[in-house]
Amino acid sequence: MSNPYLKLDPASRREFMLRTAKTAFGVSVLSHFDSAFGASSPAPSGVGGKAKSVIYLYMAGGMSHIDTWDPKTGDTKGAKDPIKTKGGFELSGYMTEMAKVADQISIVRSMSSKTGVHEAGSYVMHTGYDPRGTIIHPTLGSWAQHFLGRSHKTLPSSVVIGSGDANAGFFPPALAPVPVSSPDAGLQNVRSNIGEGQLKKRLSLMNEFDASFREKYKSSDVKAYTEFYDETMNLLSSSDLKAFNLNEVDGATKTLYGTGGFSKGCMLASRLVQHGVRFIEVRLGSWDMHNYVDQGMNRLGTEMDKGFAALITDLKQKGLLDSTLIIMGSEFGRTPRINENSGRDHYPKAYSTVFAGGGIKKGYIHGATDKDGREVTDKQATCQDFIATVGAAMGLPISEVVMSPSGRPFTVGDKGSAITELFA
Amino acid sequence: MKAIKHLFLALSVICAASAYADTTRIFHDTQGRPLEATFVKLEGDTVYLQVVATGQTVGVPVSKLSAEDQTAIKTMTPAANANAMTSVATNASAHDAAAKIDQLVSMGLSQHGVKPNAPLNDEQFVRRVYLDIAGRIPNYDETTAFLKKAGTDKKARAQLIDDLLESEGYVSNMYNYFAEMLRIKDRSVDGGAFVRGLPYIQWIKDQLKANTSWDKMVSTMLTAEGKIWNNGAAGYLLRDSGMPLDNLANTLSVFLGTDVACAQCHDHPFANWTQRQFYEMASFFGATTTLLSGRDYNQAKLMAEVSSAVESGGQDPKVLMNQIRNTVIRANTYVVQDLPENRTKLPPDYRYKDGKGGDPISPKLIHWVPPNKQLKDVIKDDERLACYKLAADVEKKAASVKNTMKYNKNPMQKQTKSIGDMNENLRATFAAWATHPSNPRFAMTIANRMWARAMGQSLTANKSVVDNPDDAYNPPLIKHLANEMIRVKFNLKEFLRIVYNTQTYQREATTADLAMGEPYYFQGPVLRRMTAEQAWDSYMTLVLGEQIDKNKNDDVDLYARSVDMDLSNPKLDAPTVLRKFQAVRDINTKQRAKVGGGLAKAGEEMMDGDEMKIATFGNMKLMRASELEQPAPPGHFLREFGQSERLLIDGGVKSGSVPQVLMMMNGQAQNMLTNHDSLINRNIMKQGTPDQKVEAVFLSILNRMPTDRERAIAKKAISEEGENGAFASMIWALVNTREFSFVQ
Repeated sequence: MSNPYLKLDPASRREFMLRTAKTAFGVSVLSHFDSAFGASSPAPSGVGGKAKSVIYLYMAGGMSHIDTWDPKTGDTKGAKDPIKTKGGFELSGYMTEMAKVADQISIVRSMSSKTGVHEAGSYVMHTGYDPRGTIIHPTLGSWAQHFLGRSHKTLPSSVVIGSGDANAGFFPPALAPVPVSSPDAGLQNVRSNIGEGQLKKRLSLMNEFDASFREKYKSSDVKAYTEFYDETMNLLSSSDLKAFNLNEVDGATKTLYGTGGFSKGCMLASRLVQHGVRFIEVRLGSWDMHNYVDQGMNRLGTEMDKGFAALITDLKQKGLLDSTLIIMGSEFGRTPRINENSGRDHYPKAYSTVFAGGGIKKGYIHGATDKDGREVTDKQATCQDFIATVGAAMGLPISEVVMSPSGRPFTVGDKGSAITELFA
Repeated sequence: MKAIKHLFLALSVICAASAYADTTRIFHDTQGRPLEATFVKLEGDTVYLQVVATGQTVGVPVSKLSAEDQTAIKTMTPAANANAMTSVATNASAHDAAAKIDQLVSMGLSQHGVKPNAPLNDEQFVRRVYLDIAGRIPNYDETTAFLKKAGTDKKARAQLIDDLLESEGYVSNMYNYFAEMLRIKDRSVDGGAFVRGLPYIQWIKDQLKANTSWDKMVSTMLTAEGKIWNNGAAGYLLRDSGMPLDNLANTLSVFLGTDVACAQCHDHPFANWTQRQFYEMASFFGATTTLLSGRDYNQAKLMAEVSSAVESGGQDPKVLMNQIRNTVIRANTYVVQDLPENRTKLPPDYRYKDGKGGDPISPKLIHWVPPNKQLKDVIKDDERLACYKLAADVEKKAASVKNTMKYNKNPMQKQTKSIGDMNENLRATFAAWATHPSNPRFAMTIANRMWARAMGQSLTANKSVVDNPDDAYNPPLIKHLANEMIRVKFNLKEFLRIVYNTQTYQREATTADLAMGEPYYFQGPVLRRMTAEQAWDSYMTLVLGEQIDKNKNDDVDLYARSVDMDLSNPKLDAPTVLRKFQAVRDINTKQRAKVGGGLAKAGEEMMDGDEMKIATFGNMKLMRASELEQPAPPGHFLREFGQSERLLIDGGVKSGSVPQVLMMMNGQAQNMLTNHDSLINRNIMKQGTPDQKVEAVFLSILNRMPTDRERAIAKKAISEEGENGAFASMIWALVNTREFSFVQ
């Protein structure tokens, strides 16, 4: 216990790391921008490199693998029978829309994680690292921005749609994803009810009134706020803001997605990809179905099924599926046994992730679990492998060691191996 | 003299750090009457003993002790924090108790060569103390009244602290703190929780208003039974219905300062907790359920009856049936009750040598083992503590019960008496141990948390971990604060009164960056950004003025009355269920009826018959954060400003983001403040000269007078934009300053 970071609580850790990152790197709005986006990326890991954008559909709470991507027929089947799909493999009976586009996806059925705790599980499925008291690890969007620069001059390079953590880990805060809490609202509050001239006048008044305070309190927390004001003004003067506006989506596309909250998140993600945002996470919560899993799946599973399928269809129609990787993950699976509350509990031992587009094989199943979905029987894959695979798909140098401001070595996916069989 | 005293304290800290528990024993007086106490120190003819049962330190004439004890104490080592323990009289005033804390802080500072910050001026004090106690900035009148009084009255600060501790704002602000710590939600769809949290929320507020002692509050939550609306405290276990292990990890973290979440799945990598120990603790809750299953009442029959009785009126009948099931029937399945058997078993993937998956686990309390000690020695010491003693019997009995009882299909029926009683005792035993003054961590954890609230930084690097107090930034201080918490009998208000009266609190905030992970010695509080709730409630102060605490969320009674039914009653029929369903639906309509009046009326008493009306602006209800939806919905000012989602302990965020700044520039709340009808604008315009108006806007928003330079800038703005435009701009500019959102 000699290391003081080990003892910090998450909030303090976050604050300390942000501070250090700022002192070490400085925060600059444009310094990370270069022309890497749009260019055909090299594939330093030997595979992948085709995905210019990534859409990560994150199922928060622990998605039941048996009721989605790894259906079973025995005692652990659950309420619905498996159904046949266009991919030549079976999916759970809740996945009726995905069944129609299953020929576009690959499934890893052999995921296995070490943690059955939500926060820790979610953390490792985003960063490839187990949470540690000493450091906050970056998520994939921040890693990509570190290696490849900004994906757009004014728009953020990463966006998180739906509630979720949005920090840059040990990178400077300018590399943090921008959260959008509701797809309908888009980027909120971009329109001012006063003119731009008036806004600028008010900002200068603010700076004058605040001068003595900022002179006295030169802490990096205070400075970081000042930098966020600068960056916000840059964004406001950009014409690309319409990327966040779902009203501009054409009628046919709107019909394709429908009106579900998650579907709209997928629709916004697709639109952001078109406008040059590199990494978008769309979150869907409430998968923690300890009670009443059938009802939960009817509600949530159906919503996910519709949104995911629409996203594949949309990107394919727009010719963007080959350059956009869609991934679906969750912190763990759920117990094969249905409990006394008609629910399923946490199950990290075996679960599934899904890949589509971005240079990934079509209609491929990687790995397997036993007949009840209890044990991985073939090609076990870890959370680290999952993150490394996505990193490789984006053309990131996944084995390159990056030193954190505290002088510790890290890599994309914590030395996980990219699952090479997934790539076409 | 002072220097010598410091030296002595410093030495005693170094020499006697581990002697504490060795000196806890049963003392006897000359008549043979026993007293369990810890030896503190011997000073002349007086021996100081800390009584285990009460936590209080008392001075006893040596001659009153038995001859044997008189001999024994001569060789005992004084307690590490002996001076702190004896320097505050049992009935010390807040002022004296505060002075003792300052003394310990200044020792810590001088030990490390750190200078204390300058004292706060009155303007800084009034703003900070309102934010810290009442959860909002002071309004114009409150600011000017205090500044005037403080100029002449030396007791003005202490008086203001007392007044604020008695205010409604105190309850609201404390509630916000605990709501974040306890992850309190009203509506949760996670895992299908179909019961609302309203009664639990109200219960917490009621306790804070009554200033129920912390030990009693916690023990009531841990032992509560029944449905949430019959017993709001049941909300604590129901919050984590279906996840008892997570609930336990959170319990240990927030109440006992011990992070054992890792041990849920494997032996803790950094601390001493093993997975088996975690399950032994979980076993205290293993005979408790939080959810009735369909087997516990005749679900199928009831649903069939409702289904045939319901008239869908054009709505999809399937959707309607789902709504009925979710909003009223399921809400009634969330019940905390004790079972006839303990269901705690090791998990299937258990991989250590001391057991195998599926083994039943009987309850056993944990012990905190400092790095330089062995568990067996600690157990020996702990056995002498009252909290472990009172649990010993139950632990023993529980271990002897053979877990062969079959699961009773209907837990609502009375259970086999002896075992049933014993299982009911499990939670009570755990609660008694956890909240006892002699528990090694309970008082310290809440004391450390309350200290952190006032100072912006806890005495330990992680405020949820006080496993080893000797690792704290100022070990004598954290131990002293724990003793103080016990001395004031877990009266949080009293404890905070002491802390707010310290000079340490009443110093300027530290301006420099804290070095990463480096210890902090409390040269003053830490500069921190307002919490989301403080920012929102400060906005509310600007539009509601002294009416801010008039409107309360009173949906709880309506909800309880509407939803309650007895599922176990075989006579429960479909019409009753449908009536309940309609009543729950009507809550929204009734809520809407309470809204009325716009910004121009906000800040005035708006009555409609007997009912107070809630003012709105756009879709924002103008009420305290504590009275709004818990937590506020995504996109609300509160959430954009970092209000916790209430998923993680202390989950609020204080960092900025582009969307947050966008909101601060263009958001609805900004439009509200700059609107001509807002109370702040109306108040400014009431002032006479333009210069007085400038003073009013500064005093209202930053709670200080403008500087000459600022007056000049304001004058220029008025000449350019005219008064109306200029004051809207100034309001905008001032709430957007860092000075506004950081608490100095």
